[in-house]
Amino acid sequence: MSGFSGAAAIAGIGATEFSKDSGRSELRLACEAVLAAVADAGLKPSDVDGMVTFTADTNAEIHVARSTGMRDLTFFSRIPHGGGAACGTVQQAALAVATGVADVVVCYRAFNERSGVRYGLGQADGPAETGADSAAYAWLTPFGLSTPAQWVAMFARRYMHEYGATSEDFGRVAVVDRRHAATNPAAWFYRRPITLEDHQASRWIAEPLHLLDCCQETDGGQALVVVSAERARDLPHPPAVVLGAAQGSGDDQHMMTSYYRPRITGIPEMGLVGRQLYAQSGLGPADMDAAILYDHFTPLVLPQLEELGFCAPGEAKDFVAEGNLELGGRLPFNTHGGQLGEAYLHGMNGIAEAVRLVRGTSVNQPEGVRNVIVTAGTGVPTSGLVLGADR
Amino acid sequence: MTSYEDFAGREILPLWEGPDPVNVPMIRHWAEAMGDRNPIYRDDAAARATGRPGIVAPASMMQAWTMRGYAATVEGPDAGARAGAAAGARELDGLLEKDGYTSVVATDSEFEFHRELVAGDRVSVREVVESISPEKSTALGTGRFVTTVRTYTDQDGEVVAVQRWRLLRFRPKEARAPRPRPAVNRDNAFWFEAAREHRLVIQRCAGCGTLRHPPGPCCPHCGSFDWDAAEASGRGQVYSFVVNHHPRHPAFEYPLIVAVVELDEGTRLVTNLVGVEPGEVEIGMPVVLDWLDADPDLSLPVFRPQSGIAA
Amino acid sequence: MNGRTYEEVATGEELPPLPIPLTRTLIVATAIASRDYQDVHHDPGLAVERGSTDIFMNILTTNGLVDRYVTEWAGPAAVVTAIRIRLGVPNYPGDTMTLTGTVTAKHDEDRRVEIAVRGENGLGAHVTGTVAVRLPAKDAT
Repeated sequence: MSGFSGAAAIAGIGATEFSKDSGRSELRLACEAVLAAVADAGLKPSDVDGMVTFTADTNAEIHVARSTGMRDLTFFSRIPHGGGAACGTVQQAALAVATGVADVVVCYRAFNERSGVRYGLGQADGPAETGADSAAYAWLTPFGLSTPAQWVAMFARRYMHEYGATSEDFGRVAVVDRRHAATNPAAWFYRRPITLEDHQASRWIAEPLHLLDCCQETDGGQALVVVSAERARDLPHPPAVVLGAAQGSGDDQHMMTSYYRPRITGIPEMGLVGRQLYAQSGLGPADMDAAILYDHFTPLVLPQLEELGFCAPGEAKDFVAEGNLELGGRLPFNTHGGQLGEAYLHGMNGIAEAVRLVRGTSVNQPEGVRNVIVTAGTGVPTSGLVLGADR
Repeated sequence: MTSYEDFAGREILPLWEGPDPVNVPMIRHWAEAMGDRNPIYRDDAAARATGRPGIVAPASMMQAWTMRGYAATVEGPDAGARAGAAAGARELDGLLEKDGYTSVVATDSEFEFHRELVAGDRVSVREVVESISPEKSTALGTGRFVTTVRTYTDQDGEVVAVQRWRLLRFRPKEARAPRPRPAVNRDNAFWFEAAREHRLVIQRCAGCGTLRHPPGPCCPHCGSFDWDAAEASGRGQVYSFVVNHHPRHPAFEYPLIVAVVELDEGTRLVTNLVGVEPGEVEIGMPVVLDWLDADPDLSLPVFRPQSGIAA
Repeated sequence: MNGRTYEEVATGEELPPLPIPLTRTLIVATAIASRDYQDVHHDPGLAVERGSTDIFMNILTTNGLVDRYVTEWAGPAAVVTAIRIRLGVPNYPGDTMTLTGTVTAKHDEDRRVEIAVRGENGLGAHVTGTVAVRLPAKDAT
């Protein structure tokens, strides 16, 4: 176990409702989520001395702090790379807490991604700016490759070709997500499960991706409070101890389009995150009782299972088909319904679900969960967590 | 079945005499519209002062003497001179129409003038096909360049001018928004500039010779900031591909095939596949380079199946 | 009579630029003067229907303007022996095309001078090409 493993815990979680049109500002969503998380932790805003969010977030720390009544902040940090930042925010917070830089750190992300600027509509009409981030799109958008679904579809096609995976193999991931969402009142797709036939019949978005391979878009906010594990034990909920928190960016890393590596069937940056998580926590794949895996698009769930050691490369399709991701299976997966089923909150709602799993309060709570692995966005520099029950 | 290749050397317009003799009023009218104040077109004395027998017609007016004018629009393309057109012209028109090349634009005119025309000259023209290109993607649409030679003769059968004449016969694009602009900066401008000249280049490290794409300021292998560009062979194979359906950007036709092509040189690039249906694309399919002139300042490399290349 | 003799002209000499305002009237008048009644040269509605953004200049007029540009510089004694042009972007109304030219070759055997010409409008190069003219000898003037 590394130096900070076990030193920090998530003590509070809070969110807005998840909708398609929040009707209020992104800053207000952030404040609502942060205040809910702080209250859930049994703390006051003035106790908060650290903040972490995404570089993509429009709600600067000072506005959230000023609005919610936070006072002195001794730590603030941002993680780049879209949804890849999610678990990285907790790692930053845990590092800060473990090293004494801060005592109470709030991680947050809030946006009107559905009613405001939609990622799903693509980057094609971006502003005429020529920084490196913009220039990277020069190789994509003039050819009409401009949306996340299209970027992921390119990986999916090659994965199918090399491993013999099929669209049905991707569809089974969506079916599990939607089954779990169907019993989660907070999920957008509450009471709306799908079948594999529904998946196959849904329209093409970017072949080989069907509509039901793609996650929804959401308005909402989600926040988490990180304190020391010791302090967490004095707070109302059982702590979800941060046993591992890691970030990873791989060799020849691009944003969603790392098509130039020798092979593109794996997610090397996720393998890097997984190896760190296991080394930090002293645990391995066999010790994971549940998994919250980033599922903006179904195809990239399969190589995550492979990179994280739950099965060998190319075998995830069988691992899924055998029912291992079901509630009674080997590795209950996305018990909240995932981003396909509950909400697309850039991975932050998945961390909250992992906390509930450790607390034993998920609406789809499996038996005997102690350790949960959580991943952030795939195809981008990413991050991961292992959360565990207090021991 | 006649193919485009068979048209080389065939006459599509037999010798046909223009409706009016060369005459001063039409010359004056032309010079006035062109803003041309050269006195040899309107003043006999001035023309004689240059050693000419009198007023001459502007050289560039040659083709106008054999234009059918308003009559062509009233009588339709099959009337008048075209009624006497060679069978070759009707066959060519039929072939072009069948392939949907309904629009036409002139792209090149190369005149060699043998003598100046004077009032009273009668100009005739005869037209023979020189070549017809394979199908090309252009900013206007997809089509073929039809190159002909038009020979102009006078009342004595003497050649007064020869004109190589090139038309693009094409399927008009639907009115489309321009493709998304690439953000061109100091690291990638060389690639887009080469593309405008229809050259596909790959950045090459001047230190260790490693090829890299997409390009960057510095070699990840040896750290050198020095580089040049190698010209790609234009051959490769499909490494992966997607078929986009939604959302639709107004610049593109859907379904849109976007592929990652691995070049014979070893680098890969994102590109479009043309000349192939989505259902026919396979990973590993050999492809060759073609060019898409998306608009006047953006040319992009695209690829088509190797087997689909015209001879 | 003002004009150039063959001996006065040097390879590399640049012709003075000639800006030509592309009025709608110019485009229609020159199309009619060249007996070109195709609708894309005078009817905006039909031009748009055929995929253009407006009416545009016909190629016969481009030939005529290039001819005018070179012979204005060369003088009335010059005899045009060749005009070779390639069209690029269209000449639409409201724009201005500026013609430029450079003497690229001289042929002593028939006192022939070649001039590379280029016409740029707001969209880019409308025309690139070459005009050849035969000029009078010095002693002939």
